[in-house]
Amino acid sequence: MIINCILKSVEMVPAFPAAIQKVAELLSDEDYAVTNVTNVINRDQAIAANILKISNSAYFGSRRQIKTVHEAVVYLGRQHLIRAVQAAGISKIYRKGSKGYVLQAKDLWEHAVAVALMSQILCRKIQGREDQTLYTAALLHDVGKVIMGEYVQEYFQKIICRIDEIKCSFLDAEEEFIGINHANLGGRIAEHWNFPIELRDAIAYHHRPDLLNEEGNTLASLVYLSDQACLMMGLTGGIDALAYKGLEDVMRYFDLRIVDLEKSFIELMDELEKAKDLMLIG
Amino acid sequence: MSEIIVGISDLKVSSNPEDALVTYALGSCIGIAVFDPKANVGGLLHFMLPDSSLDPNKAKATPGMFADTGIIALFKTCYAYGAEKKRMVVKIAGGANILDDTNYFRIGEKNIMAMRKIFWRNNVFIDGEDTGKNYNRTMRLDLSSGRCTLKSSNGTVNDI
Repeated sequence: MIINCILKSVEMVPAFPAAIQKVAELLSDEDYAVTNVTNVINRDQAIAANILKISNSAYFGSRRQIKTVHEAVVYLGRQHLIRAVQAAGISKIYRKGSKGYVLQAKDLWEHAVAVALMSQILCRKIQGREDQTLYTAALLHDVGKVIMGEYVQEYFQKIICRIDEIKCSFLDAEEEFIGINHANLGGRIAEHWNFPIELRDAIAYHHRPDLLNEEGNTLASLVYLSDQACLMMGLTGGIDALAYKGLEDVMRYFDLRIVDLEKSFIELMDELEKAKDLMLIG
Repeated sequence: MSEIIVGISDLKVSSNPEDALVTYALGSCIGIAVFDPKANVGGLLHFMLPDSSLDPNKAKATPGMFADTGIIALFKTCYAYGAEKKRMVVKIAGGANILDDTNYFRIGEKNIMAMRKIFWRNNVFIDGEDTGKNYNRTMRLDLSSGRCTLKSSNGTVNDI
């Protein structure tokens, strides 16, 4: 059974970079000590190297060159720092993944960044503020594809034929031929990483937030909308493209109109221009 | 041969037969490829949204973002290179939609409708198209021959 192989692969997924969680914990206290944060980052060489790259990128708008992690921690400040550490760690996870859905593994990462940026655009519009948990969920929403890619590649023709025949979604076709869909698989990986339940659900149900009960689905719904918007814009979409269900109720729930989505497209184009460097790291 | 890449909300025109204009991953966005075989001028537009009234300032800075301002800019740039409207071959691709009949996500369809209206008003005929459905398309216009090739995310490759 393929599903057994896949679930075994989940167990083999390396631990979520400890530095990300540790930094998030330290920064949850506004009165954090820069030295403590610097020490945590310095212990993970790959993240430390990426932090330097990111803090010198146009996205975070540094005017002078930042040469040490300590300088980066001071310069970036709380919110930027947690995002930079996440980007530094999570890009690696996507880049190591199998292709399958996309031509190059880096496309998965670029899509993740686009969805994360879009999630904040929509959140500012809907809730008047940014949301760090949402950002994390958006960045990790397709983590299941890192494992699924290999299997999807194998069943590609069958999946495409089935979608054409019965107009089912890519998600349903994955379930039919592989036994699990990439969103639920992502949820399993999140469980393997001991993520809190709301983050796990937001990943596992990012194409079907309507299957969650109402209290639990705000996060998943926002990830869903951000993802759909990016897929529509063609932002590093893969072979699955737009073959996903349109959930009218999610738009209604947030009182969003089609012109709101159109405006968010324009905003995202501006943010992507700034975030170019963020996509190149890894 | 050099490949000129046309990004989202962008347009490129060339008269060099060595060039090919390419735009990747058209989802709900639409690609319009025009070619005048006599002047050997080709242009490619990748517009994202149907109507510039949504953000007139943006339309001034980035006319290729919208159907109305983008199509005008595409044709005018081609004219400046020596192309003539009556000779121009027009091919279109994209405008894909998310599944289901919900009206909330139909930006692809709105894009197609806006474009057809503009063409109709200006007596422009569409010579080839592959639009709608739910897959992504990559569009390529070869300036040595005017050949327009589509590669879709469902694995098919065909000329329009």
